[in-house]
Order: sequence, then structure tokens, then C-alpha cells
Amino acid sequence: MAETLRLRRAAVPAPAVSQVTVLRVVIILTLLASWELLARSGWLYRDVVPSLFAISRAIFDLLSHGEYYFHLAVTAGEIGTALLIGGFAGLAVGILLGANRYLAKAFEPYLYYLGPTPKIIFFPIMIMWFGVGPGSKIALGTLSCFFPVALSAAAGMRGIDKVLIRVGKSFRASTWQMVTKIYLPAMRHPIINGVRLGLGVALIGTLLAETKLSNKGIGFLIINAYSTFDMPRLYAMLIVLFVLSIGANALVGRLGGLEGIKRF
Amino acid sequence: MLTPANPTTQAAADDAILVVDNIVVRFETPEGPIVAVDDVSLKVKPGEFLSVIGPSGCGKSTLFNVVGGLLSDHQGTVNVAGETISGPHQSIGMVFQEESTFPWRTVTDNVAFPLELTGMPKAQRIERARHFIALVGLDGFENRYPGELSGGMRQRVSLARTLASEPKILLMDEPFAALDEQTRLLLGDKVLQIQQALKQTTLLITHNITEAVQMSDRIVVMTYRPGKVKRIVDIDLPRPRTSEIVGSEAFGRYVAQIWADLREEASRGMRDEEKHTLEHHKGGAS
Repeated sequence: MAETLRLRRAAVPAPAVSQVTVLRVVIILTLLASWELLARSGWLYRDVVPSLFAISRAIFDLLSHGEYYFHLAVTAGEIGTALLIGGFAGLAVGILLGANRYLAKAFEPYLYYLGPTPKIIFFPIMIMWFGVGPGSKIALGTLSCFFPVALSAAAGMRGIDKVLIRVGKSFRASTWQMVTKIYLPAMRHPIINGVRLGLGVALIGTLLAETKLSNKGIGFLIINAYSTFDMPRLYAMLIVLFVLSIGANALVGRLGGLEGIKRF
Repeated sequence: MLTPANPTTQAAADDAILVVDNIVVRFETPEGPIVAVDDVSLKVKPGEFLSVIGPSGCGKSTLFNVVGGLLSDHQGTVNVAGETISGPHQSIGMVFQEESTFPWRTVTDNVAFPLELTGMPKAQRIERARHFIALVGLDGFENRYPGELSGGMRQRVSLARTLASEPKILLMDEPFAALDEQTRLLLGDKVLQIQQALKQTTLLITHNITEAVQMSDRIVVMTYRPGKVKRIVDIDLPRPRTSEIVGSEAFGRYVAQIWADLREEASRGMRDEEKHTLEHHKGGAS
């Protein structure tokens, strides 16, 4: 199995510049050029489509002021906390559902129903419970993150090769040893996938909540820029956020990718 | 020995390390209850290599799970060194038929697994693991992952892992069933060599006659459903043995003898299976 994989990998040549890269660059350049043309044409209201130069300067301004980093830290802290609470809660519930057929039968359908429900509808309740500050954002992010992690963990738990569990039992592993040395490592791929999905929805949930009602955070800055009609700044923030999201996703993906080498 | 009060139990406790007594296992199936194992009793002496052979469906894997303590819903008792077991016992080490290495652990960490569970310090357990890796002939592969090894090598990792727990009794369920014939014979050599070096008491569950005769001191032939002990055959071949013995005349006689016993059972099993398939087919068609 390993040999065939290696062969397949070796058989694909890696050209210096692939066709995909060329295509990508061409499309991006075309888009940028059209944008700039649109900005200069005067067809739209001034500043709705700011010039690339204005956006670049706004990005520079944004990144050279400490204020942005403060708000970034607030949002990152909210997402991180949400991922932590929602992730661990999801993992615990997922393992419980995966381990117990009756609990799974009783409660898993609700997870499937609630999972895709837009969590923003719970935001008013969260504000009442946790206030306008970061508390309500963390709550919403946690709620978003919980479902994909719980569902992946439950499925991952059920997908564990039964013989590995028998091996653990034959060596008289304690329940704690079974969980830490067999269940969790055997479930690492579904768990990492769940965390990736969880990160995505926690990001959405937290930012959405910030744009609705808040006094700090990236979402707050974006809405602030919108209400003062500072379009270059708005676009600058969207672009920076876009890059940050890609980075965060790649980081989690990389964790999963590194693990991937070690499997069959 | 002076005349003991109860000669039979005394003798049993003295010369048998594993005593399987009147095991009966019933399973509930949609077609009604079936008796998988019917009143099976065995005694294994220290250092002995005993094989249990039977056709598919004779309940030998069920027996494996009972002796290993993984199946507790049965009648009768399993005694290890005078102690009645109630669940997996530290004196019994199991090797499973299925692929059972941990894919996320290196060969060393796989083999060190049972030692890790007992809380042995890391340096010590790695040293011990390396000893057993060398014993199964996998030195040089210590830091590889199971995914990088062949099926036969992975099965040797499983064997080393079980040996590392230093069980009094090695219990194996068709450990080479998934391997090709040549690998199986060579791996059999390895197992024999290790078993003879460690004087390891071994109970092997198998459906392979060659494998059973090649390795065993005694062979227990089981009947097809319900699984009973049909006959116990003493294999009086010289030791140390290797796979070369497969060519000898005495070996052929044992194989023929066991096949004569087994053939009847296997054909019963086959007829039964055909009948089931036919009934199933009829049921599906109507």
C-alpha cells in the first residue's frame, strides 16, 4: 500500500509553473484591472468602488495603527475561546454519543436538526444572558462550533476499528487509558475535520454577532467603517480578514495533513 | 508426591497451567438460539503448544474470546494457574486474526503499548520493546509506522506486542489467516522458534491443518456446530521443528488423520451453509 502511494506520488511531475498557476494569475490580474477601470470610470457613486491605490493605502493605514490589533486580538480571543469551549464540549458529547447506542438514538437526531440552523437567531438570547461585550460573541461562536465537532466525534467514535478496542481490553487498559490511548488517537482524523469545520463556523458566528451588536472586535470595526462610509477602509479590512481566515484554515489543515502521513 | 486427598484436582492443578472446564456458549439469533460451543474442556500444560482446529462455524473463535476473557456470557470456567478468570487476565496474551496494530504508533510504540499501560518508565519499556522486536526479526523497523510494513510484518508486530506483556499463555486466533501460504509457513517457523526459545505455553486457534501439525504438541479437533471436542491428537514429531518437517512422512500421516476427522465436519458445515443459502434465496424470492 505504501509503495503504491509513493509510486503514484513520484509519477506526477512538478513543472516549474503549472497551468493552474498561470490561469490563476491571469484571472486575478484581469479582475484587478477591471476593478481599477470601474473605479476610474465614474459609473458608480464615488468611493463605492475605490481605486486599488486607495485600498492599498487603507490596508497600510490599518496595519500601521495599534487600534486594529486591539480589535483583532479581541476577535481572535473570542474565536479561540469559542473553539476551546465548543470543541471540548463537542468532543465530550460526541464521544458519549458514539459510545452509547441509546443516547445516540435519543439525541443525535436533534444535533442533525440543530447543526445547520443559523445560530445567529440565538443572538438576542445570548445578549440577554451574557451582555453586549465579548461574552455573547463567545457564546455564539461556541454554539456554532459545538455541532460539527460533536457530530464528527460521534461518527469517528463509531468508526473505530473494533479489534483495536479488543486489543486494549485484552491488555486490561483502564477506561481512561482506552480513551486517551485508543479512542482519541484512532479518531484523530474525524476530530481534526470537525475542528476545521468548527473553526469555520465559529469564525462566521463570532463575526456575525460582532456586526450585529458590539463595542469592539473586527466585526464592530467593519460596521463602523460602513456607517461612516469609509469604503477603502472597509475593503481593506475585508481583504485582511480574508487573508487571516485562509491562514487559520491552512494552519488547522496542516495539523491534519501532518497526521495524515502516519496513517495506513 | 504423597497420596493427595483429591487426586484429580490436585493433578490438574499441578500439571496444567490452563484449565478450560465445561464451556457452553449460546447465541440468540433471529432463527432461534444456537449453541456455538458445547461443553468444551481442555487442559494445557506449561510449555505446551496446543492447537484447536475445526471448520468455520465450529465456535473456535468464540472459544478464543472466552479463554481471553472478552466474552463473559458463558457457562463453565476458565482457570489460569489455579485462578478462575472473570475478564481479561494478565497471564493471557491474545493475538488477533484481524489487523490489530495501532496505525498512529511506531513499531516500537506499538510493542511497548502493554508496558506503557502498566506505567513502566519510558527508557525501560523502549528497551524491552526492542528486545521483542528483535525476537520477531523486525530489527531495523523500530521507527516505522505499520502503514509502511507488509501484512506479515504487521502481524509480527502484533505478536511482539503480545509477547512484550510476557503472558504465561499465548492465545492466538488464526494469526496468519490473512497471509499467503509461503509467508505463513515462514512466519510459522518464526513462531515455533520463539515458542521453543521462550518455552511459551501456546493455545492456537486455526483452521489450517498444516499449520496445526507443524507447530503443535497436541491438536484438539472440534466438530461443526455445536462445537464439541471430537478428538485430541498427540503430535509425536521431534523438536525443535521448522517448516521443513512439512515434507516428512510422519507429518503427512498426521495431516491425513486429522483431515479424515475434519472432512466429515467441514462437509457437514458446507451442506448446512448451502441449505441456509437456499432457504434464504427461497425466502427472498417469494
